[in-house]
Amino acid sequence: MTLEIGTVDLTMDEIAGRLAAAFPVELSAVSVQEPDTVVAHLERTRLKDVARRLKELPQLAYETLNWIAGVDLGAQLESVYHVYSWRTNTYLELHVTVPRAKAELDTVTDVWPAADWHEREAWDMMGIRYLGHPDLRRILLKDDFVGHPLRKDYVDLAENHPHA
Amino acid sequence: MPDHFAVPEPDEAVKLALRRVRETTAVGGGSDMEGLEFNEVVVNMGPQHPSTHGVLRLVVTLDGELVKDVIPVIGYLHRCKEKLAEKRTYYQYIPIVDRTEYLASMNCEWGYVMTVEKLMGIRPTRRAEFIRVIVGELMRIASHQVAVGTFVADLSPLGTAMVFYMFRDRELILDLLEEVSGARMMFNYLRFGGVRYDLPAGWVDKCRELMKRMPKLIDEYEALVDDNAIFLQRTQGKGVITQQDIVDYGITGPNARASGVPLDLRRTRPYSVYPELDFEVCTAAHGDVFDRYRVRMDEMRESVKIVEQCLDMLPRGRVQLGSLRAPYVITPPPGSCYVGQENPRGEYGTYIVSDGSRYPYRLKFRDPCFCNLQLFPKLLSGNKIADAVAISGSIDLVLGGIDR
Repeated sequence: MTLEIGTVDLTMDEIAGRLAAAFPVELSAVSVQEPDTVVAHLERTRLKDVARRLKELPQLAYETLNWIAGVDLGAQLESVYHVYSWRTNTYLELHVTVPRAKAELDTVTDVWPAADWHEREAWDMMGIRYLGHPDLRRILLKDDFVGHPLRKDYVDLAENHPHA
Repeated sequence: MPDHFAVPEPDEAVKLALRRVRETTAVGGGSDMEGLEFNEVVVNMGPQHPSTHGVLRLVVTLDGELVKDVIPVIGYLHRCKEKLAEKRTYYQYIPIVDRTEYLASMNCEWGYVMTVEKLMGIRPTRRAEFIRVIVGELMRIASHQVAVGTFVADLSPLGTAMVFYMFRDRELILDLLEEVSGARMMFNYLRFGGVRYDLPAGWVDKCRELMKRMPKLIDEYEALVDDNAIFLQRTQGKGVITQQDIVDYGITGPNARASGVPLDLRRTRPYSVYPELDFEVCTAAHGDVFDRYRVRMDEMRESVKIVEQCLDMLPRGRVQLGSLRAPYVITPPPGSCYVGQENPRGEYGTYIVSDGSRYPYRLKFRDPCFCNLQLFPKLLSGNKIADAVAISGSIDLVLGGIDR
């Protein structure tokens, strides 16, 4: 296997068009962020299915997960996936929202192995539970920490970190 | 009176390691002996271990000298940087970015500043762009010196000579950066739209002089180890990162390039004035410990070339947009963006969500070491414990970035 970067020559608008055509229902608000990123919103129930198909999409093939970020939007929490396509040398930024009351999403660790730690971090910091994750422990904070500090309503109390 | 001989309850990571020992080895149920009867021992390495270069902790399962399983435990240097951003103005946050990947603080600042500039839709002045490339590449050399120096010292006590050589010369670079910014390591030098100070009088000549000496110094480093039979034996063919690993785990930087992947954001996602500069993307073929060392040495030479070109091309003009007393409160328009840039260790990116206020609504760092460390269980398993130390040294981790 030899990795080559940027062998497929497509403009950003073409890539956005292809994505919108391949996922007419699943993806919404597909837009291009210059110079090299397509931003799109994804319906949360289709996440795993879309992730799997994105990885195998002809010519585009989003094979590498770059990072995941949890964002607190108030009534909803958001999980942002940043994936990289080696062939076109471009990125795709997927925004998936979950209700705050039931912050659960499918894991994508079986599609992109790199998701493992990134999902653990988003769980630790933002409290998004990734269903089916093989080992969803806290990663940066201690095992017995209480709460998810990057949520906007987090209040730091002494009893949240008993062994500090 | 406290019982000093009490054995503390194992934490989650150790429990997980013990559970895996039971699952993989036990025939007909587990053991109360915590896996000992299966010839496997769970050893805790770190967080205060000299070879982990910081506060990395590895829970290692050993069978004799053979590493069976590794569970990295991180977070000992967690300083809530992402949360801190939400309570700081954009300007106030620059010195905090310095302290993430502290061996390459200039590059980290650069990544953060570029992201905010992109959010605001401004571009720095041309002179400032060149100054940024110069200080960024100087920082890259200094960072690789620490990386290679400590890595060789890990291999053998004799390798300590390398650390002394490298740190001696790194100090020359830090002196230059100190003259520019006023600080030795935590610079707080870059500003939105430029840099804080112009280069001091006579600095360009000093820098040029050091860059002239640098290739000779690098020759000196190579003479120390490149033909050393023991060094070659301990590094060649060990800890191979395959291209599949790179795709799966998002490995970037010299670690990816050593496996023959020409992934260098300075070329693949060009920023600043890099498209105008002439330099090679250094790669190697095998992806083993030795190749990762080689790539770093080659990159130091390339960085010298880049700095020399920038010194020649350095245009006249201002180093900041507007006056030096620029407004200290900026309010980028609502929106989000991510900018990744090539740090000495790989892709260091900043993702910022702005709600139009004085503070970032959400800020996230994509740290290269965090992603590279994720490969450790796969990379170290099956090696001898002594080689595992060599391999982990060759990955070049900075815990400040991993834990944030």
